[in-house]
Amino acid sequence: MRRLPCGERPDWREIAREAGFAFHTLDGSPYWDESHAYAFSLREIEETIEAPTGELQALCLDFVADAVEDAAILASLRIPEEAWDAVRQSWHRSNPSLYGRFDFSYDGSGPAKLLEYNADTPTALYETAVFQWHWLEQGLRDGRLPSGADQFNRLHERLIARFGEIASAGLTAFAADTSGPEDLGTILYLQDCAAQAGCETLLLDLALIGLRSDNTFCGPDERAFSTLFKLYPWEWAFQDAFGAAVAASPTRFLEPPWKMVLSNKGMLAHLWAREPGHPNLLPTFFEEDPACSGLRAYARKPLLSREGANVELCTEYGRFAGEEGPYGAEGFVRQALSPLANFDGRHPLLGSWIVGDAPAGLCIRESAKPITGNTALFVPHFIEPD
Amino acid sequence: MTEETHPRDSAATKRSRMVSTVLVAGAGLAALQLGALDRTGTSQTVLVYPDAAACAAEAIRTAEACRQAYDTASAAYPSAAPHYGSSGLCEHHHGIGQCLPAPGADWIDSLEFVPRMAGYLIGREESDGVTPEPVYAHRQGHGEGPGHGSFCTGSGGKVSTGTGAHASSGTLKSAAGQPTKFGGFGATGKSVSFGGS
Repeated sequence: MRRLPCGERPDWREIAREAGFAFHTLDGSPYWDESHAYAFSLREIEETIEAPTGELQALCLDFVADAVEDAAILASLRIPEEAWDAVRQSWHRSNPSLYGRFDFSYDGSGPAKLLEYNADTPTALYETAVFQWHWLEQGLRDGRLPSGADQFNRLHERLIARFGEIASAGLTAFAADTSGPEDLGTILYLQDCAAQAGCETLLLDLALIGLRSDNTFCGPDERAFSTLFKLYPWEWAFQDAFGAAVAASPTRFLEPPWKMVLSNKGMLAHLWAREPGHPNLLPTFFEEDPACSGLRAYARKPLLSREGANVELCTEYGRFAGEEGPYGAEGFVRQALSPLANFDGRHPLLGSWIVGDAPAGLCIRESAKPITGNTALFVPHFIEPD
Repeated sequence: MTEETHPRDSAATKRSRMVSTVLVAGAGLAALQLGALDRTGTSQTVLVYPDAAACAAEAIRTAEACRQAYDTASAAYPSAAPHYGSSGLCEHHHGIGQCLPAPGADWIDSLEFVPRMAGYLIGREESDGVTPEPVYAHRQGHGEGPGHGSFCTGSGGKVSTGTGAHASSGTLKSAAGQPTKFGGFGATGKSVSFGGS
């Protein structure tokens, strides 16, 4: 794994504009950054990223199968009891999952360490699957990248294939808070993939979702959704007025409610308890667990949080980094510290995508701070030729 | 974004063979057609006639089709008509002089009232698949603004008929016993600034 200057395409902003990549710059700050790239060997990708991703996904699914039958586990994750029926039913009915993203700490040596699993509402999807792919293709044509360079990125193909596998007859809707360009861009891209898979689709704001008297979720014209993709965390959906209708609704959700079990930092403590010493897992404990006292340096993470919010990094001498945020009411876990790699003062976080249950590609977000927050830059990667 | 195919044997690579987008590249985010709250789909155009002769006279349907539809509606009337516990309650909904004792009611023990069958409705086209059903006078100003609600159906649907050349043509708005609710998702997220993760 190397961080290499490769020179940005002089016209990449124009290319992005034409492509519809509207959020390459967010609030005036850069998000997409192609002045550098990360280079991996094929072996690093296949053995260190891809294979562990598939293995961790299998461990996660085993955990969900146990968790849905175990009230103590659901309670430990602070999943509200009102949601348990929906979580259980969606699992027992084998409601399919579309995608997820494992975030790893990795510096080119040793095993990649799982920091968290974005199992419910991952973003950075379009820029991984499409814009990063085009960056590689153009770099190969222009000679900025070595001939024969490749990329771990089957995301686009896999998403379309997955929609083909799980498509339901009828309307598939994609909803988010569309006032945010990143979330809007993400659901627009997913709608695009679904349409390419032959699905009939609709894009709408969360606020325009309706609930019919027959308990089916619908659009403004009251036409039923057979499937509703929501880029909106389940823990919030269950606090909303429509949350109580989810369990009994014939509308199928993406991600399904059982993903709540995985999109929760408490899952990391359970995984460690089930697989102590697993090379890709870090010792992690609920904060109430006396075992926390054995952790000298650790990350303190809220059970539910996004983009690094409310995460603190601590050593035995105290807290040395932290991000503010609105999370933490549900409690915390402590995870043995696995600092992000340092390349030229920049800290890359590796996001390894799952589509269905199969590894599908890689994205890297890079931060100047030790905690990857919402100001991190998206930096492309490639696989060096042999 | 234009389609591109990379030149090498796809089986040997770790990336997609081809990446193209249709909606993202084609529309751009500014041109999005987000769903809007325009809920006009619950009403439909119907024809309303006082009897089969009036229907046949307008010649939109054949006399035979008019009579069959009337027979269907008439047969449904005794059970389809809304039943009220008093004539006053019935007249409150349907107007003075519009109500009569329910057919077959026990005059002594439980007197119920139903509105007179003021006519019947059929679909604008036979292919509309509307089942002919009786309609009842709907008291002006009751539950609807002025000029609306000339008739109602047994299930509470409202039929507003025009007053122009096609007086038989009306708009049926289905009864919304428990209407579709909107706005039940997103509030929690609005209270926490959210971007995906």
